[in-house]
Order: sequence, then structure tokens, then C-alpha cells
Amino acid sequence: MGTLNWIIVLGYLTYVVVDGVRRAKGTKEIEGYFLANRSLPWWAVGLSVMATQLSAVTMIGTTGQGATDGIRFVQFYFGLPIAMVILGVTLVPFLHGAKVFTAYEYLERRFDAKTRSLTAFLFLILRSLSCGTIIAAPAVVFSAIFHWSLPVSVAIIGIPTVIYTMIGGVQAVTWADVKQMVIIVGALVAVVVVLFVKMPVHPGAALHIAGATGRLKAFDFHFTLKEDYTFWSGIIGGTFLMLSYFGTDQSQVQRYLTARSVDEARSSLLMSAYWKIPLQALVLLVGVLVFVFYQFKAPPLLYNPAQEAQVEAARGPQYHALQQRYAQAFAAREAAARTLADAEGPRAKSEAKAVFRDREADVDTIRSDALAMVTQVTGDASKDVNYIMPRFVIDQLPVGLSGIFIAAVMAAAMSSIAAELNSLSTTSVIDLYRRWIRPEASDKHFLTVGKIATAFWGLLACFVATYAARLGSLIEVVNLFGSFFYGSILGVFLLAMIKRARPVGAFFGLIAGMAAVAGVAYFEPEVTFLWYNVIGALVVVGVGMALSLLPPRTSASPQPSAR
Amino acid sequence: MDPSEDPAPDGRRTFRRTLLRVMIVQVVALALLWLLQARFGG
Repeated sequence: MGTLNWIIVLGYLTYVVVDGVRRAKGTKEIEGYFLANRSLPWWAVGLSVMATQLSAVTMIGTTGQGATDGIRFVQFYFGLPIAMVILGVTLVPFLHGAKVFTAYEYLERRFDAKTRSLTAFLFLILRSLSCGTIIAAPAVVFSAIFHWSLPVSVAIIGIPTVIYTMIGGVQAVTWADVKQMVIIVGALVAVVVVLFVKMPVHPGAALHIAGATGRLKAFDFHFTLKEDYTFWSGIIGGTFLMLSYFGTDQSQVQRYLTARSVDEARSSLLMSAYWKIPLQALVLLVGVLVFVFYQFKAPPLLYNPAQEAQVEAARGPQYHALQQRYAQAFAAREAAARTLADAEGPRAKSEAKAVFRDREADVDTIRSDALAMVTQVTGDASKDVNYIMPRFVIDQLPVGLSGIFIAAVMAAAMSSIAAELNSLSTTSVIDLYRRWIRPEASDKHFLTVGKIATAFWGLLACFVATYAARLGSLIEVVNLFGSFFYGSILGVFLLAMIKRARPVGAFFGLIAGMAAVAGVAYFEPEVTFLWYNVIGALVVVGVGMALSLLPPRTSASPQPSAR
Repeated sequence: MDPSEDPAPDGRRTFRRTLLRVMIVQVVALALLWLLQARFGG
């Protein structure tokens, strides 16, 4: 990839670790280690919230999705600003004002210890697995592109993150997130500029070419429970998903618990609401522009170099024949794209679009044949879409900028991993260790246990990442598993804000919500996961309130003192 | 602070102002996406 690029990547990794370790100074008690003494400014917290949500998958998977499927995925985020506003006036004042370390701690104050422990336990299971998959996604891509072994890829991303998170705590995580957001947005904007500069047609023509294939269709008003990305699933399902994620997931809640005040916590969430849709549209637009760029510059038939080598070794003559067909189809499509770019007048444009779509379909057919060959040779469904952006970055970007983009992908991965490790450590120490094992130990002891817990979860995540990459479907399983109870946990927090809700309703409502979602997933598998959050939350509130309104059988025995 | 206690009036005013700005940015972003679809998506 070139020495300068590697110097940039190594320089960035070193800087993040050194700065993280420097932030450790002054962190002598758990309030500082886990919550930065609730002293951080809203803009830093806001950038941290955004960086946590923007993972390496966004940088490589979502841009690839933009190249192959267009910008319709942006609808997934339509509910986010609504959710942020709702949280700003409901849960944030409750959680920040309660001076808790974790969202689950608040549930014990409001309900009982078993509801707190169950939600904390579910969080630990889900987040530890998902943390592994967050490392695995970029590690697999780096492994294929740079010919590193998978454990080396995992270690390069995971180890520096574990070091700065373990030593520096939430201060290191947040300030690293701020820098990471700067490098991520800077890299994306630079790529857009380069794409427009290198594009052989003017920007308007480039957008006409993208639009001809439906890649600029941002709105789909068709109402169905069976499609992931429609306006309605984004607005309704997306709102519930974002309410669950930002309102009840400790990896997000912990970000705004570090803010100086309730108002600064709310402002940090609104900052995310400001920028999420424009930022996500930018990420997808980068992918769309890469698609247009490859109308004029021949792209590889397979973007994943490792799989391409495997196919060439196993099916050399067949693959080379396919490559020849691909070259001819590409030349025909390029000519059609240039005709479309030069077309003037509605009729000429319409005819040029029709021809271009036919040529694009020819290219797609050949790519599908190549991907089918990959599946036959390797036994796995190809995830070639994840390699479009990395191949573009390495083959087409100028020296220096490709290094910055790779550093940005690492930054995106590290910011998400660090927030998850930090929150896993907080939940294990506060909700389990301090609550059930050593309630009377000193702050110094909890600080040490917190650091050990961070290292433990980090190493476990690296271990999971190494195996998750080999078990491709595990990522989908983890996401599906998460959506089973995300909405249900949101339901418990909604109950917490209803005065008449009682502990029995919260606990059994939670179980009923998860069972209802599992039932829908089993009996109606076509219902898309975004609706699981709506179903889970509504069932928990319904069942929880029904149980709460029943007359209590006996007076509850007093709970042990909670910390 | 009591969990349900309202933030200070100044904070509420800032929140409302920020909320208005958020809504304006969202409307502008959605309008631009709509324009992109209507102008080039056919």
C-alpha cells in the first residue's frame, strides 16, 4: 500500500494509545474511570455518541451497500431524530438525574434487583458477542486485502483499543472518539472530492447515471412488514430501535451519563440527531459515486482478492472466460454511460437510460455468475460488497489519502469497540460485582476490578472475533438475538416512567415481551427485525401494566440494600 | 437532583432552540434527498 500510507496508519494507532494512556492521569476512583466525574462538555459527548454508533461496518459495508443498492438504506435512520427528541424529554432527565452508573442500576431503584440483574445479564451476553463481531468485520477485510492472517488483523485492531480503554477509562474513550470522528468525516469528505475530481463526466451527469439504476431512490412509501428499508419501517420501527439503543443500551447511555448536566446530556443527543441523516447519506453517496466511477474505469470482477485467487486456482479456465465476457460487457456499459452523460433533451435521455440499464443488467449477470463460482469453490456465500470500498481506496486514491482512509476505518472500529468494552466493564463491576459479590469494597478495589474486567472483555471479544469470522452467519445470529430483547428492555424502561407500574409487571412483562418476539420470529419469519422492537416494547408495556394493576397477593419482602 | 425534576428554565429554552434547529436540519436533509430522487432518480 506504500510506505507513507503505513506511516500514517501506524502514527495514528500510536497517537491514540499514547493519548489514551495520558488521559489516565487523575483517574483515581470509579466515578472518574466510568463516568469522567460527570464533567464532559456536550459537544465531546455528542461526538462520542456518534463515533460509537459509526463502526467500521459503516465505512466499508455501508459504502459498499451504497455502490450496489443505492441510498435507500438512509430510511433506516429516519426515526433517529424523533427518538433523540423523545429521549431528551423522557429518559435522559431520569437517568442523568438519578446519578446512576448504569441504566440497569436505575431499574433496581424503580423496580427490583431481579429486573436489574436480568437486563444487565442480557446486555453483557449480547454486547460481548457483538463486540467480537465488530472487530471481526474489518479484520476479515484487512486480512484479505493486506494478506495478513486473521489473528494478526484482529490483534492490530483489538489490542491498541483494549490498552487505551483499560488504562484511560471513559475519558480516554470519549476524547479518542472526538478525534476519531474528525478523521472519519475528514476522510469521507476527501474521498467525495477525489471522486468528483477523477470522474470523467460532470457531477450532474454522474448523478443521472446513478439515478438511472435507481440508486438515488431515498424514499419508499410502500407499507409492508416484510421489507427492511421503507419510509414506514424507518419512521416507526426505526424510532423504537433507536429508543431502545440510545435509551437502554449501556454502551450509549454511559456516553451521556458523563455529561456535566441534564441539559448537556440532552444537547449531546440532539447533536447526533442533527448530523446522523446527513452523515449517513454522505456515506451512502460515497458508495454511489464509487459505482459511477467504475462505469469509466474497469473494476475487478471480484473485489475480494483472496477469493479471486481461490477461484483462479480452482476454476482457472472458466474464470478467465468469465473475465473476457466481463471486459466486453464493461466496454458496452461504458459506451452506454457516456451516451447517457452526453444525452440532451428528455427523449434522448430516456432512450439512453434504457440502453444503459440493459448494459448494466448484462454486467450484473456476469458478476452474479462470478459470485456463484465463489460459493461453489469456497462453500461460503461471498460478501464481495464489503470489499468494494477497500479496493477502491487502495487502487484509486492518491498516496496518503488511502492511509488516512484505512486509519479512519480503524478509528471507526476502535471507537465502537472502546465504548462497548467500557460499558461491559461498568456493568460487570456495578451491576454484578459490586451488587452481589463485594458491596463494601473500596473505590480503589473497584477501579482495579474495572480495569481487569475491561481487559477480560477485550480479550474475549478478540477471541470471539477470530471465530466469528469463520462462522459467517454468527453475525446475523447475534443481530437477530439482540433484536429479540432490545424492544422488550425498552418496554421495561417505559414502564419505569409509569407511576402505577410495579416490579412484578416489569419482570414478567420483560419475559412476555421476549417470548412474543420469539413467537413472531418463529411463526412469522417474514416480518422484518425492525418491527420486533415495536412488538417487544408494546407487549412489555401491555402485560406489565395488566400485571401491575392486579391487586398484590402479599406485601413484598424488603430488598437488600442496593448500591 | 430528583430524577423527575425538570431542568432549569434556561436549559429548557436552550433545549427548545436546539430542538427547532434539529427539526430544520432534518427537514432540509429530507428535502435534499427528495430533490435528488425527483431530479435524478427517474
